[in-house]
Amino acid sequence: MRRLSIYTGLLLLAVTFTGCKKFFDINDTPNSPTSVPPSLLLPTGLSGSAFSNANELNRFACTIIDYQAGAGGSPATYDIYNTNGADFGNQWRFEIYGGALIAYKKMIDAADATGAKAYTGIGKIMMAYTFAIATDVWGDVPYTEALQGDLDVIQPALTTQEAMYKGGTGVTSLFDMVRAGLRDLDTVTTSSPETDDIVYGGDIDAWKKAGNTLLLKLAIQISKKEPALAASVINEVLAKGEDAYITSNAETLGVNFGASTGSQSPVYYYTYVSSFANDLIVSTRYVNRLQALGDPRLDKFVTKPSGSFVTIDNGFRGTLPTPTANWSRWSSTLLGANGVGPVKLITNAMRAFILAEAAVSLPGINLGGNTAQGWYTEGIKASMQDAGLSSLEIDAYFTAHPEVVTLSGTVEQQVEQIITQKYIANTGNGLEAWNDWRRTGYPVMPEHDNAVGIDGTRPVRAQYIDQEVARNPAFKNGPLPNVKVWWDVN
Amino acid sequence: MKQTLLLWLFVAISVMPALAQTRTISGKVTDAKDGSPIPGVTVIVKGTTTGTVTGAGGNFSLSADQNARTLIVSFVGYETQQVNLDGGTTYNIGLKEDPKSLEEVIVTAQNISRDKRSLGYAFESVKGDELAQRSEPNVLNTLNGKLAGVTITGSSGAPGASTNINIRGITSFTGSNQPLIVVDGIIFSNDLDATENTLFGSQPANRLADISPENIESVSVLKGPAAAALYGSRASAGALVITTKSGKELKGKSEVTFTSSVSFQNVSGLPKFQNQYGQGANNDFNNTSSNSWGPAFGTIDSVTTVQGVRVPYRAYPNNVKDFFKTGSIIQNGLNFSSGTAENNISLSLSSTFQNGIIPESKFDRNSVQIGGVKTLNNGVKLMTSVTYVRSSQRGVPQGNGGSAFGQLTRIPRSYDLTGMPYQDENGKSIFYNLTQNHPLWSTEHEKLQGSTDRVFGYFTAGYNIMKWLNVSYRVTADVYNDRRRFYNEIGSVRNPTGATVRDNFFRSELNGDLMIKANKSNLFTEGLDLNVLLGQNINQRDYQNVTLYGEELTIPNFENPSNASIFSQSGETVRKQRLIGYYGQLSFGYKNYLFLELTGRMDQSSTLPSDKNKYFYPSAALSFVPTDAFHIESNVLSYLKLRANAAKVGRDAPPYRLQTYFVGATFGNNLASITYPISVGGSSIPGFLTNTRIGSPALSPEFVTSYEGGFNIGLFQNRVSLDATYFYTRSSKQIFDVAVSNASGFDTRTTNVGLMTNKGIELVLNATPLKIGAFQWDVSANFTRIRNNVKEIAPGIDNAPLEGNAFIGINPSIAVNHAYGVIIGTKNARNDAGELLINPSTGLFVPGIAGEVIADPNPDWQAGLTNTFRYKGFSLSFLIDTRQGGDIYSFSMTDLKNNGSLEITAKDRDKPRILPGVIQTGDGKYIKNNIQISAQSYWGALGGLASEGAVYDATVWRLREVAFNYSLPSSVLRRTPFGAASIGLSAHNLFFYAPHYPADPEINTQGAGNIRGLDLNGAPNTRNYGANLRVTF
Repeated sequence: MRRLSIYTGLLLLAVTFTGCKKFFDINDTPNSPTSVPPSLLLPTGLSGSAFSNANELNRFACTIIDYQAGAGGSPATYDIYNTNGADFGNQWRFEIYGGALIAYKKMIDAADATGAKAYTGIGKIMMAYTFAIATDVWGDVPYTEALQGDLDVIQPALTTQEAMYKGGTGVTSLFDMVRAGLRDLDTVTTSSPETDDIVYGGDIDAWKKAGNTLLLKLAIQISKKEPALAASVINEVLAKGEDAYITSNAETLGVNFGASTGSQSPVYYYTYVSSFANDLIVSTRYVNRLQALGDPRLDKFVTKPSGSFVTIDNGFRGTLPTPTANWSRWSSTLLGANGVGPVKLITNAMRAFILAEAAVSLPGINLGGNTAQGWYTEGIKASMQDAGLSSLEIDAYFTAHPEVVTLSGTVEQQVEQIITQKYIANTGNGLEAWNDWRRTGYPVMPEHDNAVGIDGTRPVRAQYIDQEVARNPAFKNGPLPNVKVWWDVN
Repeated sequence: MKQTLLLWLFVAISVMPALAQTRTISGKVTDAKDGSPIPGVTVIVKGTTTGTVTGAGGNFSLSADQNARTLIVSFVGYETQQVNLDGGTTYNIGLKEDPKSLEEVIVTAQNISRDKRSLGYAFESVKGDELAQRSEPNVLNTLNGKLAGVTITGSSGAPGASTNINIRGITSFTGSNQPLIVVDGIIFSNDLDATENTLFGSQPANRLADISPENIESVSVLKGPAAAALYGSRASAGALVITTKSGKELKGKSEVTFTSSVSFQNVSGLPKFQNQYGQGANNDFNNTSSNSWGPAFGTIDSVTTVQGVRVPYRAYPNNVKDFFKTGSIIQNGLNFSSGTAENNISLSLSSTFQNGIIPESKFDRNSVQIGGVKTLNNGVKLMTSVTYVRSSQRGVPQGNGGSAFGQLTRIPRSYDLTGMPYQDENGKSIFYNLTQNHPLWSTEHEKLQGSTDRVFGYFTAGYNIMKWLNVSYRVTADVYNDRRRFYNEIGSVRNPTGATVRDNFFRSELNGDLMIKANKSNLFTEGLDLNVLLGQNINQRDYQNVTLYGEELTIPNFENPSNASIFSQSGETVRKQRLIGYYGQLSFGYKNYLFLELTGRMDQSSTLPSDKNKYFYPSAALSFVPTDAFHIESNVLSYLKLRANAAKVGRDAPPYRLQTYFVGATFGNNLASITYPISVGGSSIPGFLTNTRIGSPALSPEFVTSYEGGFNIGLFQNRVSLDATYFYTRSSKQIFDVAVSNASGFDTRTTNVGLMTNKGIELVLNATPLKIGAFQWDVSANFTRIRNNVKEIAPGIDNAPLEGNAFIGINPSIAVNHAYGVIIGTKNARNDAGELLINPSTGLFVPGIAGEVIADPNPDWQAGLTNTFRYKGFSLSFLIDTRQGGDIYSFSMTDLKNNGSLEITAKDRDKPRILPGVIQTGDGKYIKNNIQISAQSYWGALGGLASEGAVYDATVWRLREVAFNYSLPSSVLRRTPFGAASIGLSAHNLFFYAPHYPADPEINTQGAGNIRGLDLNGAPNTRNYGANLRVTF
């Protein structure tokens, strides 16, 4: 018996000493893939860009830029110009860098490996668009060293906004990134997106137009600082002909969402589903501006459940109107019914106003038979059509308001007319309106009531987020929200 | 100190019948002074392992070798006696009390029984009768305040809500800092699984809740990592070794014990409300306002609700209190055991039914245990026990906004919360706030139900190869399935279109332990004893979570998932990890006054890189008893023991931390969100994204090094004894997801970084101040002071958030040069002199500074004091404990200050106020703030959700427990069928005093875990009181 026990014990030991290698080889996660095809990353990136544009940053910009007023929570804070490093952490971390951009980066890597040039092309165009959001909001941001955390670059250096737009040693400019994307789209691809492309459903020609129109947007953004470079990029696009860029509302670069829970566009969800909806209300200033112009888009864009507009002034700190059910909010015409969107990132109207502004204010634009007035008219009409106005209604407006629809006066006055109309056309896209206002100073907007901020003036950039300041020495001592970004010379 | 059962167990495990010719020796052991029988006395044949313990009447009987010459009779608190066997078969033995005795035999790791004097580390144990029948169904809550070095915090008074326990502070940045739980040798899961976001969810139980306090024989607390060699890394956070009531030595007889108790619960710790002002703001009534800044009562007679009903305008002083019900806890237990030490069987049944103070909430637990011992004719001893438990829980969501508790702090003082209908005939909520639901609607229609089926048990086969050599193999299993059902009715705030969720958690832990034990006395030299233990452990842990997450419901009040149309948040997570450990323990004892113990363990873990998956950790402990070594005989100094130990423990990583991978994509939060797959234009579109964490293929184990020194001193024949301990632990190479620049595309990277230390003092004082005849007054006190300090996180990193859910701007964190778990939020701006800065145009605080440490949840010190009075069959004990310092971050109090509900906000409300602080003048100097503001602005400014205005000192004194018990005297029992009977009254959390917090600060909304000190609109605590009964047949 004793002997038997000893043998049994030795046997047990022997069994456990052998075969250990396999026994321990169980640490590869069965829960998650370590690589995925580009088609699983494209929709992620696109919706990430849409969130970057249309979630919290948009609520900030929409209050700053007088589209809406803050009635509670963070929007009420923004409305008196208060913003600091505690704001937009989620946007930077999970929508821009840790959302859209890393998705595009991984998609481009995966697509390059298989020759899926359609994906790399779209990826580069949308990466440029999303990096532009980052630099337009924060100024100098990680660019050349960004998105390589898994390659041990965990504290990427900042690239100046100037270098991002203009390029330089070791820096591919945003323009060149878009151009590279356009070249990819002209190359044979091993696979093409279908329904995973929640913008164009796999229409590569549409993506090419979007890429060229993005070049226009990027160019006009730096036009006050670098007029010659801006003009050359715009001429480069114009030279490709009208078929090369967005010329109809159907070609607008808009990210589509769904009507069901968990699929809805962020701005719709916030406005119509979330319990935070009453933190925002349409601004009295916005309603007044459109009413002064007699603009028929007001009734299309803004709700009035009680039959009249219920709004508050920006910076208002009194008792809020009741009931909240009567508040004026963005309409489903503007946001898309039931949350399907689209979240419009680059529209046909924007393109027309960019060209109009370039024609008026930039030297050496190759008009090629077009006129500033023509593009201006095109922009207003495109926006009005997009708002659901009939051509009869549009014509009636044009007839009744020649002083609005006709460019006149000095270059500066014409720019003001163009940007003011662009502002109306961009209703709901706070970031683009904020970009234009910072760039041009239009539309002219008085300071908000009870304004605080750094010095009582509108923020002209966002402060680096606290997390980055804590994690990356490159972000130490970043500029405050009252310091202008590089292209903002106005 | 009658540890009958325990002693019996030790003997039962180590004693094997001799195979030689035997004779039977029996007898009775009594107290030499008064002749009363002593049960539980160890009787061993000298030079052998043959022995037994005395039964209830002090009787014993054993089979001894024909040649046996001497019996050794020993019992805690008595002098050990040697009895010469003169050939008789019956011996009556009188034991004399040992004035020097303070020590006792206790259970340490792996069921090894040890004389307490030989331990080189601090040790405490709590007996079952100090835990049972205390009007509290959670074991951890019944331990609270009774142990030095142990910090226990309940999360709320919701039935089954989890309770956090940390022993000697926190030693791991991200790992579990809860002690290892061992039940009858079975490694027992105390995991807490969340179905909902912990910021808002209902509070599921920690799985130790599956053990009824009524079934516990004793709880031993191994505080330092000294036990780690025998149990593995997880015991580096200490271990709770629980022994349940199982087989008893009944000398072939049978015994049935029945216990029963009924307790009631009331809500406790609600703040004091004002009852002078009603709903509204700026002194105007407003029927949708959640504020009580409206007109004073008496100024208007009636108002119209938002539903159009005309109601009187008056205070409803109990509107919040009346939301809560009287809860009840009914516990019954039946235990049957029969047999002898070698062959016995036991069976126990236990049930707990709790209806909580929160409407609809409950916790039920039913268990059955069967176990026994069988000694085969060939000497192989088999032991087994299997327990089946079913626990079920129904909770309601808590937290900020969108829950009953998110609304309870926003009930205007003039709102008749419980006196008006809360839903209409269509089941829609009726409430003053049209975007939120009535709290009673929420508790009825928003729920999380859990039902856990759990089986745990062990099987051990042991054999004495030699008299001094024992080999055993033990297999243990702990397996459970926790089936959750979460339902949010259509119209709930958090899921406006409804949600019905099935969330199943499966966990299993299997352990196989081969143990070879040897012991030799008088080895090499007289008085030198040696014990050797060699062991090998094979461990496998499995986890599976399957979630079916149905959204967009169509039919109201229909919970089947067929009612849902979207399932995009569904999925499965599995985890598997394996470990093999080889361990050894060498214990030397010299003449019973000098002891040295050395341990070592090598683990190999599946969760580490294959070239770094083996790691070794040693420990050494020394104990010395000068009073025995130097034969000190003194009426003052009765006993002195000095002890010291050093230990190092390695810990592996959680599974799957080595790789970087992709996960299903989501964007946003409760403001707006999407979850892939999304549905666009009729197509379901899947989307993936990189996980936010960068994996580390070069991960290595993390280590905790601990040093401990202390002494035990007994004075005045041990009427007073003090046990003092100082400890220092150093945690290094922590496996931590270090925050990285988000511009890298990721959020964290798993790395070995950091350094954290804990220093602490533990004191345990026991005394018998009075002993006059049958009256005795005992005092037991404990004191704990722990200082934790995070020394380093990672290069360039000053702070990092803890793993878990957090609100933006309110981050439970680690921060360099702060204690673990500080909360980082927005601090009020101050000048260099530390004065608060006031905005000269508004009279309010200037904007605060984000990203600052604003609260530290770690208490400065804590202490407990138990007084017990005994007179004949009566005993009365009460436990007072305190926690001094430490902060609580409270949404609830912020709400109540902001909305003018707290009593203090009504004081001089009509008078203007001035915030404390200074105003900067044009020349850069500061003048005292003199700007008058309204009471509403004043209290609003002092509130502020994401600011230091929400932080309070959580100091609290508490009458935690009162227990009165009466055991019927044997003169009465003789006329009954009962062998013993007692009745009692008990109360839990009867009274508290928190000088700096308007409510009860012992609350932790996120439940057990490393995140502490947050009240995020959680449920309040309860006050429990009840009656109980115990009879033995």
